[in-house]
Amino acid sequence: MLNGILLVNAGEQLALGNMLFVLLTFVVLLFFIGKFAWKPITKMMQDRADKIANDLDSAESNKNEAAELVSKRNAELQATQAEATTIINNAKDTASKRSDDIIAQARDNASSMKVKANAEIAQERSEAMADVKNEVADLSVSIAQKIIQKELKLDDQKALIDAYIGELEAK
Amino acid sequence: MSFLDEKSATFQLLGLTFDWSIVISTVIAALIVFLLVFVLSRNLTMKPGKKQNVLEAIVDFTDGIVDSSLPSSIGNELKLTAFTLFLFIFVSNEMGLAVQVAFGDVTYVKSPTTNPIVTMGLALLVVGLANFVGVSKLGFKGYFKTTFMSPMAFLLPINIFEQFTNYLTLALRLYGNIMAGEMLLTLITNWGNPSHLGLTIVPAFFLSMLWQAFSLFIGAIQAFIFVTLMSIYTSEHAVAE
Repeated sequence: MLNGILLVNAGEQLALGNMLFVLLTFVVLLFFIGKFAWKPITKMMQDRADKIANDLDSAESNKNEAAELVSKRNAELQATQAEATTIINNAKDTASKRSDDIIAQARDNASSMKVKANAEIAQERSEAMADVKNEVADLSVSIAQKIIQKELKLDDQKALIDAYIGELEAK
Repeated sequence: MSFLDEKSATFQLLGLTFDWSIVISTVIAALIVFLLVFVLSRNLTMKPGKKQNVLEAIVDFTDGIVDSSLPSSIGNELKLTAFTLFLFIFVSNEMGLAVQVAFGDVTYVKSPTTNPIVTMGLALLVVGLANFVGVSKLGFKGYFKTTFMSPMAFLLPINIFEQFTNYLTLALRLYGNIMAGEMLLTLITNWGNPSHLGLTIVPAFFLSMLWQAFSLFIGAIQAFIFVTLMSIYTSEHAVAE
C-alpha cells in the first residue's frame, strides 16, 4: 500500500502497471466519447444556440416591419377617409346646384306658359268681341230692314222689338 | 470490498504487473460510461427528446463546472475531459454498490475507486493535465512564475510541495470516501448475517439501505469535487495573475 502511494518500489511495479492501465482506459474512453457523442451533441447544442439567436433577430425585424405596415395602413386609411369626404361634399354641391337649376328652369317654363296663356286669352277675347260687334251690326241692319220693310204701328213696333229681343235671347 | 489486507490476483505483461480486479473493474466502468453516453446520444435533433435532454443536462452541468473557474479560451478544450471524467468517476464510485463479484478470496468486480492506485492514476492525469495546459497557455517561463513564484518568489518551496499535496489529497480524498463507504456497507452486511448474531438482520437491512443511499450521494459529490478541482488546478497553472 505504501509502495503504491509513494511509487518507490519499482521491483514490484504493481502501482505503475495499474496506473498506466487506468490512464490508458480513460484516454481510450475519452477518444470514443469524443468521437461518438461529444462532437455531435456539442454541435447540436451550438446549432440550437445559433438558431435561437437567429430566430430572435428575425422576430425583431418582423416586428419592426409589422409596425411599419400598421403605420402605413393607418396613413392610407386617413387619406382614404379624407378623399371620401371630398367626394361626398362634391356630390352634395353638384346635387344642390342641379336642383336649383331644375327649379329655376321649371319656374321659367311656368312663367312663359302663363304669358302664352294670357296672350291666348286676350286674343280669344278680342276675337269674341269682334264676333259680337259683327253680330250687333248684322242685327241692327236686319232690325233696320224690318222697320223699313213694314210700316208699323206702335203696338206692332213694340211687338216687333220684343220679337227681336226674344230672338236675340234665343241666340 | 477493498480492505487494506485484501488478497489480489495479478498477471505480468511487458514487464509490468497488473491487478486483475483493477483491470476488469476499470474496463467495465469505462464500458458502462461509453454505452450510456452512446445510447443517450443517438438520434440527436434540434428539438431534444428525453434521452437527449438527459445528456444535455449532464453536458451543461460539467460545462458549468469548467466555466465557473476557467475562461472559455482555456475551458472549452477541457470540457470533454471534464464530462468524461465526471461520468467515469461517478460510475466507478457507484458500481460497487450494485455489483461485486468475487471468486475465492479475490473480488474481481467492484468499484475501481476503492483502490488507491486507480484514484492516484486519475489524480496523476488531472495534475499532469493542469500543468500541461499551464505550460501550453503561458509558455514555460510564465507557467513557472504563475505556479511556483506566486504570489511571492520566496514561496517557491511551499508551492513545489503544494503540487505533491494537491496530487495526494486529490487521490486519497476520492479513495478514502468510496473505500470507507463500501467497507462500512460490508460491516453492516456482516453484522446482519443471521448465522452470527441472530435477529440483527432486520435493523441491518434498513441500516444498509440508508447507508447505500448515503454512499450514492457521496459518490456523486466526490465525482463533482474531482472535476471541480481539475478546473481549479488548471486555472492555478494556466491563468496568469
